[in-house]
Amino acid sequence: MLLQDTTIAVLDAATTAGAEPLERAMTVASKTPVVLAVVLVVWLGLLTLVLVTERRLARLERHLDDAEGAAAPRAGS
Amino acid sequence: MLHRAAPLPVPTSTDPLALPRYGRLYHAFGALVAAWVTGVLVLALTRPVANLPILEQTARNLYFHVPMWFVLYAAALVGAWHSARHLATGRVLHDVRAEAAWTVSVAAGVIAIVTGIVWSRYTWYLEANVWWNGDPRQTMVAVQLLIGGAYFILRGSIDEPRRRGRLSAAYALFATATMPFLTYVLPRRMASLHPGAEGNPAFSQMDLAPQMRGIFYAASAGFLLLGWWLYTQRVRARVAELRAERLAEASTPSPTATFS
Repeated sequence: MLLQDTTIAVLDAATTAGAEPLERAMTVASKTPVVLAVVLVVWLGLLTLVLVTERRLARLERHLDDAEGAAAPRAGS
Repeated sequence: MLHRAAPLPVPTSTDPLALPRYGRLYHAFGALVAAWVTGVLVLALTRPVANLPILEQTARNLYFHVPMWFVLYAAALVGAWHSARHLATGRVLHDVRAEAAWTVSVAAGVIAIVTGIVWSRYTWYLEANVWWNGDPRQTMVAVQLLIGGAYFILRGSIDEPRRRGRLSAAYALFATATMPFLTYVLPRRMASLHPGAEGNPAFSQMDLAPQMRGIFYAASAGFLLLGWWLYTQRVRARVAELRAERLAEASTPSPTATFS
């Protein structure tokens, strides 16, 4: 109850009264779900980058294996 | 015109650029790390924390800020080991591994110092409204990161690979040797608001709330494993680059072997 009487809480309520649902979610006093959502979006972006790099590296390594395998007998002959 | 190609090393275990096979186990490890860190992130931001005055919900930053230091130290030690091995053996692969380890170490250090700056801004300096106040530990860590960053400047300034490898390996050993003094010994002897400083303990039985301990350990393990995953990727990428260069050199006719 004490928290609700503070100026910040009153301002929060006033600014979010006519807001859209997403806007309300972003401006409520407890922003932990919003922080979690942002952190997960950033993390999933990074994870996608790592996984794409992983796939590209695996493809490149296979290609290099093939190229070295083909070039080695030529170099030896 | 007859071109004679330069001899190409057959890709065997004696190949100086040979890496262990990254097969199914490695991919399973990657999936495990991805799931583990995702779980840690969710738990870190949803489970209750010790809601202490001043710290309040910022205590959750512990799960991100401190493990990054662990990654920095672990990667720097790996880098130092491979630098020493490169100096002893001259093997290119050790130089590649040292560079990759230092990349992960410095990247983790940058994340750690940024999370630390933001954390201190909204706790220690809330009333003062400043982002940086010359705290001994923060300052020493910034110096350490500059020393780490100089490693890459040194590498970038030398073109000849053998000389670059040896000089940067020697420098990496120096940079690692300064680490305990700059980030541990000196800050502990100076007054600071940072936990772990004189009269301000850290991570004893009393300093970490029991409900936070499990997530903190899980976060530390998760970020260390993530650091290792990124390190292996960096190594593989650099080795692939070197192999491609070697192939290109081998297919280019050398001037002495060209007959008109």
